[in-house]
Amino acid sequence: MKRPWIISAIALICVAVFLITFYSNHNHEKTLQIPPARPGRIVSLAPNLTEIVFALGLDDKIVAASSDSDYPAQAALKEKVGTFWQPNTEAIIAAKPDLVLTLAFEQQKTVAETLKRLRINVLTLKIEKIDELLAAIRQIGTATGKLEPADKLVADITEQMNNLKLKLAPAQKPKVLWVIQTEPLRVAGRNTFVNELIQLAGGENAISPTIQQYPSLGSEELLVSAPHVIIQSAMGQDNLPDQQLSAEAFWTKWPTLPAVKNKKIYVINPDTVLRLGPRFADGIELIAQHLHPDIFAESLDAGSQLER
Amino acid sequence: MVETLTVKKLTGKILICLAALAVLMCICALVGTQSISLSKVMQGPGQTDPNIDYQIFVGVRLPRLILAALVGAALACAGVTLQAILRNPLADPYILGISSGAGLGAIIAVIAGLSWTFLGGSPLTVCAFLGALATVWLVWCVGTIAGKHRVTSLLLAGVVVNAFFSAVIMFLTSIAKSSQIRWTVFWLMGNITEKPWHILCVSAICILAGIIGLFAISHRLNLLTFGDAEARGLGVDTKKTTLLAFTFAAFITAVAVSLSGLIGFVGLIIPHTVRLLFGPDHRQLIPLSAIIGSAFLVVADTLARTIFGQEQLPVGVITAIAGGPFFLILLAKYSRKVSWLK
Amino acid sequence: MSNIVNVKNLTFGYNTQPILKDLAFELPRARFMAIAGPNGAGKTTLLNLLCALLRPKAGSIEIDKKNIKSYPARKLAQKIAVVRQEFVPVFDFTVTEVVSMARSPYLGTFGFEGKTDRQFVQEALKLTDTAQFASRPLAELSGGERQRVFIARALAQNTPILLLDEPTTFLDLKHQVDIFDLLKQLQLEKNKTIIAITHDINLTIQYADIALLLQGPPSCDYQYGGTTDVFSTEQIERVFKAKTAEVSIGGKNFYLPLGKFTGDNQHITRNLTEPQQ
Repeated sequence: MKRPWIISAIALICVAVFLITFYSNHNHEKTLQIPPARPGRIVSLAPNLTEIVFALGLDDKIVAASSDSDYPAQAALKEKVGTFWQPNTEAIIAAKPDLVLTLAFEQQKTVAETLKRLRINVLTLKIEKIDELLAAIRQIGTATGKLEPADKLVADITEQMNNLKLKLAPAQKPKVLWVIQTEPLRVAGRNTFVNELIQLAGGENAISPTIQQYPSLGSEELLVSAPHVIIQSAMGQDNLPDQQLSAEAFWTKWPTLPAVKNKKIYVINPDTVLRLGPRFADGIELIAQHLHPDIFAESLDAGSQLER
Repeated sequence: MVETLTVKKLTGKILICLAALAVLMCICALVGTQSISLSKVMQGPGQTDPNIDYQIFVGVRLPRLILAALVGAALACAGVTLQAILRNPLADPYILGISSGAGLGAIIAVIAGLSWTFLGGSPLTVCAFLGALATVWLVWCVGTIAGKHRVTSLLLAGVVVNAFFSAVIMFLTSIAKSSQIRWTVFWLMGNITEKPWHILCVSAICILAGIIGLFAISHRLNLLTFGDAEARGLGVDTKKTTLLAFTFAAFITAVAVSLSGLIGFVGLIIPHTVRLLFGPDHRQLIPLSAIIGSAFLVVADTLARTIFGQEQLPVGVITAIAGGPFFLILLAKYSRKVSWLK
Repeated sequence: MSNIVNVKNLTFGYNTQPILKDLAFELPRARFMAIAGPNGAGKTTLLNLLCALLRPKAGSIEIDKKNIKSYPARKLAQKIAVVRQEFVPVFDFTVTEVVSMARSPYLGTFGFEGKTDRQFVQEALKLTDTAQFASRPLAELSGGERQRVFIARALAQNTPILLLDEPTTFLDLKHQVDIFDLLKQLQLEKNKTIIAITHDINLTIQYADIALLLQGPPSCDYQYGGTTDVFSTEQIERVFKAKTAEVSIGGKNFYLPLGKFTGDNQHITRNLTEPQQ
């Protein structure tokens, strides 16, 4: 009665679906345009990518950037194309780019796919680790015809990191507690990128390995960890001095901690330090200065470091 | 002579609503953060110098509108169906575990770095879809094993599974590496993005098939709302009808969720709105909710991408903010009317 | 005239204790059968067994000479219409929509009513005096009006058998009589078989031809026969545990319940003239 209808309808649907997919996959082998050797209109979808582009001397070639691209100052003046988390595809297209730089996480991958379908050149970079950063700088250099400046930048950063390593080699590693939230207390664990930073800056994470990336810490664990230095991520960029004061007030609850006793509590702007870009080595040096003030005593300029 | 719903009357209503939807979509296609002109769009893709207006219209706006329309239709119809099966005006498409199932599927895909693709969908889409269906199947089994009072058992099973899976999601989120977490949380908020045409075609076929299936059993859904005993007395095989309705609703919701994350409010509010305007007859509710659901989400998405200029909001925020007061106004206005608009 | 309902050795219980044990009766076509008994005697259970909502633990039920189990739901709905207690549905259907649902067993795949279906609905509304509510939502009606709508729905279903579970609760006096008049009319003019559960013994005696008196657990005894055979003061006292006074009107015996304050009256027999028609 009704059965033959239903079966044939389902069969028809399956056939249609199969054909559509097959046809589209077939078409997918379109030839992309050959990217220009020296693109004149670059759009960057992430703040660290913007910094790299500027560092390679392409200030006049970059026509638009994500709205959270804030460094250098000229970057904030460029056309905005949405945020790092939600790029505005329309604005990107309207900027008529011949090269779009994106990062390799899902949201930006979706935008990259759309742009590629519209035959816009996209370079996707995976930057989650330091060596990936250095590779990315060279990739951008190659794509923009600025391989030499790129190599130089990579060399500079590598040299800075090596110098830092040498400087810090003899020093004892202080225990560092990196606080990302105070209410409730949550810190960066040993599996995080932050942990790598701490180690590069010549320190050691105060807490033992945990399953969670950013575990909450109770008072007991806090006392056991006994950090020598507490670094706290600031909320936003304003009022760093105020945040510093309220942080110091907060930690007086645990006067026995070495960090509190020795007044080694620092509020820093996470963007500067956690952003994997050309200023990365500067960021590590900043942390190292807090961890080993004795080694950096000559170059330490108290006021300005905190404000950066 | 009494008047009942006829094919002619229903077709008339459907055509009028479809026409309104078409007009709405045309208007929304021309609205966005970049102003484009229709005449420029008509000039085609452009050879040496790409036609920006065309690229934006065809590459960004049209796919988004179509996706919004499909997802809106799917969620609205699923909402109508679940409200009928569960005899509960507060039911929404996610109540029986689809939301947490899709979320879990997505998170597992991201954390485990799975790379299965199927029919051109990304691994995330595929895993979210499978997660949603697997969870709904689990809820159905648990709910029907419990025996006689199918509706209550289903509801309880759904609540329990949702709670348990949500806890698992929270745990997995806390152990995943940071960039992955933030992405999945964001995805769970619901987003309309530009999908490739073949995915839109396949989804359109699946969702339309599901909606037509629901329409075919819509008069039995009317009877189901009177209770199991009453429906059986009127000749409905309640177990089979409930299973069919459940399967279709779960399928179209899983497709919608795998494409756009969890967009809330649509599946709860649109059925009520359409009921207030047209009455509770499911033969009308199913097709008209699909159309009005599409319209709602198209408008919501247009607002989401234009209201704050460059900042693009997730569409779920707009549906929640806009949906609430809109519904209150509608309720106040029509609850006093005695007869329905027929 | 063959039997339209044939019950053999019917046994059923919700758990280990049976409510109905070895129940058997044969109901001929076009009769009015009343099911009576105290609360918990199994009247509604029997009704649910008769419309296949429940399955017997033992025994069989035949509808129109076919085992009830062999009927698919749709076909059974074309034979039996059920009227239960009224209720307000979750969604606001109008009276017309509710009554039209009765035509569902006869509709095609997509379920749209045709001219004949509308005629049945119209007729049913007229017979139950609910036509004036046709476009009002069910929730706006009183309990009694809703009850009549559910009865109209059963009529629109156009089945040879009507099962009713206390159809006159919530109805005012006029409508109680009207409904029973209607049921009797359907029996006599349209040859419908009426099976009604009712607490009202006197209405039963007036209208029903056959009575089934259930005693319920633990004995699960029953009486089946003409109303005069089944009802007497002794029988009523035994089954219902209530004293009644027998009153004879127009050759039929009716029963007035007696309580502590009814006064000193044993067998009051009055000869009255034939009641006005």
